[in-house]
Amino acid sequence: MKRVPIYRGELNQNIRDNFNMMKNFIKPGNFEMKKLLIIVIFMVVSMNGYSQSHTLDSLKEEIQRIDGKTNALDDRVLVNETDLGKLNKIKVSGYVQAQWENYGGDLEKTNGYNNTFYIRRARLKITYEALDGVKFVLQPDFSTGNLALKDAYAVLNIPKLKDFTIWAGQMNRPNYEVEYSSSQREVLERTRLIRAIYPGEREIGVKFEYKGSEIPLKFQLMAMNGNFTGAQAKDVDSKKDLMGRLLYSVKLPDAGIGIDFGVNGYFGGNLAKTNKYINTSKGTLDSLNGAWHYLDKKWKGCEIQIFADFLGGMAIKGEFISGVNSTVSTIASTATMAQMKADPNKLKNFSGYYFYFIKNIGQKNQFIARYDYYDPNTKLKGDAAGSDIFYKTWTLAWQYYLNASIRLSLNYEMPKNEINDTNKTNKKDNVVGLRIQAKF
Amino acid sequence: MKSIKIIPVMLIIALMAVAKGFSQAKITVKGSDTMVILAQKWAELYMKNNPSAMIQVTGGGSGVGITSLINGTTDICNSSRPMKQTELEKLKERYNTLGVQIPCAKDGITIFLNEANKVEEVTIKQLSDIYTGKIRNWKEVGGNDAGIRLYGRENSSGTYTYFHDEVVKADYVTSVQSLPGTAAVVNAVKKDVNGIGYGGAAYAVGVKQAKVKKDSDSKAFLPTAESIGKGEYPITRFLYMYLRSRPAGEMKKYIDWILSPEGQMVAVEAGYFPFK
Repeated sequence: MKRVPIYRGELNQNIRDNFNMMKNFIKPGNFEMKKLLIIVIFMVVSMNGYSQSHTLDSLKEEIQRIDGKTNALDDRVLVNETDLGKLNKIKVSGYVQAQWENYGGDLEKTNGYNNTFYIRRARLKITYEALDGVKFVLQPDFSTGNLALKDAYAVLNIPKLKDFTIWAGQMNRPNYEVEYSSSQREVLERTRLIRAIYPGEREIGVKFEYKGSEIPLKFQLMAMNGNFTGAQAKDVDSKKDLMGRLLYSVKLPDAGIGIDFGVNGYFGGNLAKTNKYINTSKGTLDSLNGAWHYLDKKWKGCEIQIFADFLGGMAIKGEFISGVNSTVSTIASTATMAQMKADPNKLKNFSGYYFYFIKNIGQKNQFIARYDYYDPNTKLKGDAAGSDIFYKTWTLAWQYYLNASIRLSLNYEMPKNEINDTNKTNKKDNVVGLRIQAKF
Repeated sequence: MKSIKIIPVMLIIALMAVAKGFSQAKITVKGSDTMVILAQKWAELYMKNNPSAMIQVTGGGSGVGITSLINGTTDICNSSRPMKQTELEKLKERYNTLGVQIPCAKDGITIFLNEANKVEEVTIKQLSDIYTGKIRNWKEVGGNDAGIRLYGRENSSGTYTYFHDEVVKADYVTSVQSLPGTAAVVNAVKKDVNGIGYGGAAYAVGVKQAKVKKDSDSKAFLPTAESIGKGEYPITRFLYMYLRSRPAGEMKKYIDWILSPEGQMVAVEAGYFPFK
């Protein structure tokens, strides 16, 4: 449905008016017609010898020919409109994040450089709304050296239940920080906790979602393979993982306050294929969990987001998650796919939380402070923790919205690690980031 | 991190925010084409009585207004439909506020017919069937044996969305001609014997208005002050103003005046209906 500069109805009406005028014009008894007939008869008799009836027939034929042409044009406009309507169902959006980062001394030793320019994300999101309630989404990421498919899913509205949708494909896991778009997030990276337990943010599976239009309730339930790291096309075991999230919203319009709060949980496991014994988080061997047994990957969490219309808007957001993860390394995201498949030999109790404070300063600026804590192995402390040390991280950021499309971000991340025999000092791993984001 | 003085930082931020708040002078209003006549009248009269105020009104459609509100390019968004949940979420993400919805007038979506059209009334179901292409000839709704020509609004229009959500409830048939503004719809129907269109009641000049009934057993109503006031006209809707934050200063004064009896009288004079 596109704007058409000429109103077809008006065009047709004009042609129809002309046609009617011509019809009236050639009616016997019409004065103009008589004059025309006399002229025509005179011309025909004296010059060409054509008959009156022959002329009328030609005139009618001509009108019919023009009418036919108009109808054909009409059909063509309809076809074009239909085609344009299809194009209108395709929406293309995206964003590019180019940034410069400066690293602390220990990161410099690891990386070999203390600063770099790079493209953090270069995304293109294509949404095709085939029908009412049927949507397809495709989102590749073109950042340098990292061409990857981020999203590829279909969303279907359950007929006659407008608040219910079914999602199928590769999509974000149902978690607040995961689903909060990178193009909108106020700090450059997600928290260490979320990066550790939801590596790559996406999963392949099916999601059922209820978003109440009458009741301010949101419920998400997702069944997924449970081992997605960005390149794993199929599952590595037969059991599927489940993830659920329930969120309730309270609005206090007179006070200008909105509170969203809820609970979430992950219920899954990893298959230990080759290890006979499993090294538990206590460092002991547990013969009950032998090879071809599933190791727990289960956690529960709660979240809150408070929005307040206070001097131009502010928000406080937080989440706490605790549970057990089966992995091969300190942080799940660093495990390779081969390791995940062959050797998930550790059960680790973990916990973490984060808080954001966001304050809008006028319409164009934002100040952000974030604190996050992540302990990958809560059962081991101090020297016994080895490399499973906890991190407490402060992040301060400032956003400047140049316009609706361009945003500049200054970000300072200051992680502080647990000190033990393995990590004798607080690592020099602070990161300063300066990013420009262009969004369309 | 202990060295970070959070309290002074917060104080500076608060001071900057307050300073920013005082710097507002011009009020921009953008959005609904249905409401543009009304918004202009409100602005003109308010500026006449308050020479220091500067209010700039533009149309573009409710969708355009909402996008502008989210993007920060308008202070007030006029919308002939409620904001969608997804739009409110975008506002929340960007400004950390819930947005403020202010119903400021009522409107009856009017069904425009050509004055030569024999049809007097239609049901909601018939309207849905007409705009989804199931009914294609006027004789199916008591008119002449002639094809129905459909006129409607562009998809950025709040009227388009409201009519879709509350009346059509399915995909519009592709033969609907999308026109930029209700005035254009009225103009097209005025010239087309077999045309039908929809739009705000204030624009119904030179065309016939069809009575609308909820279903075949209900009474049919025209969109009048009485039928809309009593909630009898089946396609009655609120017209809204949306803000990012609760109004303050000149903007609050302006909105309070719009909601006052004086402001509501302006709405009535312009062909709209008071919000309460």
